[in-house]
Amino acid sequence: MMSRETAWRIFAGELNSSSLEKKGEEERSPVYVITPLGTRLNRVLIAGVLLDKQNIGTDEEPLWRARIEDVSGSYFVNVGRYEPEAAAAMAGMETPSFVAVIGKIRTYRPDETRVLVSIRPEKIVRIDALTRQRIVLETAQATWKRLNNMKIALSMPDASAEDLAVHGMTKDDAEGAIEAAEFYGTPESSKYLKLIQNSLRMLLPDSDIDLGLPEEVTDLPDEIEIEERSGISDVDKEDLMLNILGELDDGRGAPMNDIKNRAAAEGISDTELEEMISTLLDKGLAYEPVLGRLKKI
Amino acid sequence: MKMEELTPHIEELKRVIGEGADEEQIIEELNTYLNVYHVSVDAAKKGIMRKYGKDTPFVSAASITKKISEMTGDEKNVDLTARVVFIEERQITAKGVPKTIFSGILGDETGTASFTVWDVSKFVLEKGVTYDFRNAYTKMWNEKLQINFGDRSLAGISEKQMEAPERLLSASSDTKIAELREGVGNVTITGKILSVETKEVIPKGENAGPKTVFTGIIADDTGKIQFTAWNDFDLKTNETVCAKNAYIRAWRGVPQLNFGDLCEISRVDFILDVQSGANERSVAEIVRAGGGLDVMVTGAIVDIKTGSGLIRRCPQCNRSVLGDECAMHGKVEAVYDLRMKIVIDDGTGPLSAVVSKESTEELIGITLDDAVAMAKATGDNDSVYRKMEEKILVMNVFAIGNVLSDEYGPMMIVREIGKAAKDIQKEAKELLDKVEGAL
Repeated sequence: MMSRETAWRIFAGELNSSSLEKKGEEERSPVYVITPLGTRLNRVLIAGVLLDKQNIGTDEEPLWRARIEDVSGSYFVNVGRYEPEAAAAMAGMETPSFVAVIGKIRTYRPDETRVLVSIRPEKIVRIDALTRQRIVLETAQATWKRLNNMKIALSMPDASAEDLAVHGMTKDDAEGAIEAAEFYGTPESSKYLKLIQNSLRMLLPDSDIDLGLPEEVTDLPDEIEIEERSGISDVDKEDLMLNILGELDDGRGAPMNDIKNRAAAEGISDTELEEMISTLLDKGLAYEPVLGRLKKI
Repeated sequence: MKMEELTPHIEELKRVIGEGADEEQIIEELNTYLNVYHVSVDAAKKGIMRKYGKDTPFVSAASITKKISEMTGDEKNVDLTARVVFIEERQITAKGVPKTIFSGILGDETGTASFTVWDVSKFVLEKGVTYDFRNAYTKMWNEKLQINFGDRSLAGISEKQMEAPERLLSASSDTKIAELREGVGNVTITGKILSVETKEVIPKGENAGPKTVFTGIIADDTGKIQFTAWNDFDLKTNETVCAKNAYIRAWRGVPQLNFGDLCEISRVDFILDVQSGANERSVAEIVRAGGGLDVMVTGAIVDIKTGSGLIRRCPQCNRSVLGDECAMHGKVEAVYDLRMKIVIDDGTGPLSAVVSKESTEELIGITLDDAVAMAKATGDNDSVYRKMEEKILVMNVFAIGNVLSDEYGPMMIVREIGKAAKDIQKEAKELLDKVEGAL
């Protein structure tokens, strides 16, 4: 069946904690990501604040990389020539601003154990604060429901999807919960309750909401975790950068755009790149012969 | 085996063989079968009957004969005698290949079950006729027994023709309209007849000519559904009835309740509290039911399909045309129209929705005249589509209408659509209460 995939409401905190991928059983069915709370997803509807965006492609063939912040962390968004409409919409977006994205999930496996999840938007729209609140509320409600579904699934270890349907789960919910329970085991519920708490604090600013959760559990946003995951030490980074500069140098220095593209291919974010370049300049390992070019000393 | 245990079998053989039965010879033959050839009593009996020319309609060593109520859903090879209560031809897709099957309902004196003939070249069945079936297999589907006839199955008209079973032992279960879904057989529905009218139909697979049926809408406190009564039950608008042994069939992608030959209708004197408006459903519930009548879905607009927006139609046939060329009528003065095909997603699934001009105008706040002016000013019909996207993408809407299903999923023909109000503060407080209550 070629029917359309559900647009799941999901927080970055849940999405980015996923490391299980599964190809659907039917022919030509897409790859699904299964989250620790049993969301079996291929498409999402998310809302948040567009924090930064960068065109790491060219003007003719833009490739936008952006970060959208929700109550818990960042969604990583990539949009390029395969979605010209969404790319054009991204070009017109201001930072910071409230946006909603409907998009497909893409995964990247830097090694055996880790899966980095990003969103490839089909639609990007500017929204108002009220629409953002609405989507955050829906996402919090859905997260709460999934936490409860997981609780039921874990309490009935040998249950089939049909058995779980008796407890008010849809087929998708039940199948996802069973797969998640098998792969991840019991989810760290305080982490997900924290997402709900953060949402409710935003939606009900006058209520003094305290679910009594250990504060340190998820105070670290996921993005930091991911950047640390790149696992390259500062010294290695310098060497890597110097190598890149040497490689791209056509005699007049390496063009900045090419450096950005190469760095992106190595998994270095633009913010990181800027830091590294200024370090190189500070240390006197490189200089700018002309504006927009960088040369090794 | 002891003689006493064999006595009933010997008696049975004597009775079946009738004239010319020699008890001693029967005992001897039975002994040979059982003690020399070591076959089962059933096989021995069949062998002896065959010798005396009393062939049972079918002979098989492995299969057993069962009544419908005795079947458990895991019979690999079973014989039965049953009457075809209902039969229809259906087109299905098996492993990507279109295929014709027969499906329907079989009944005997102990109960009813749905059945499927997977190879229609094997035999043709006629409604109302009792057959002896051989080599069937059974399965449980949606907790109901399903009798299957495959490659090895056979059917012959039975000598003993059964009456339509009057009372069914397989329980007709009390069901709410919201829980009805395609494929359920034998349900008991209590509901109020909202409307009823007569209709002439020509039933498939019968040569009886046109038949008068009674169709309308029945509702309970959970929803509404279209019904068809195949006999005259003297149904009247606004009366509340209890229909036993009703069954569900999809018609043009919309599930329908059927009152057939086995249905018993009784009048109920309590007043049923029927919701007057549309019934709220999640998309997942609609998918499970296979469709829905007069239902309301609330969700976000996640896509506007191409072909939405300002279009031009042939004034004669109403087909959408490109330029001024109609595929049917050649060069025509095409007229402008506004329409949308959108996707509404409530987080449980996506629903396609077809929105007419009036509803489109209202939702996007642009009239057809505005749209035409906009297209002329920009010289671009797509400008209307882009405006639509800008106005309604991600908008939370309610949509009311009838939903039918096809291979692309559920689709609603929208009767009414509008921006859905959501009390965010209230719902957030409710969620907080739930979470705090559970911790």
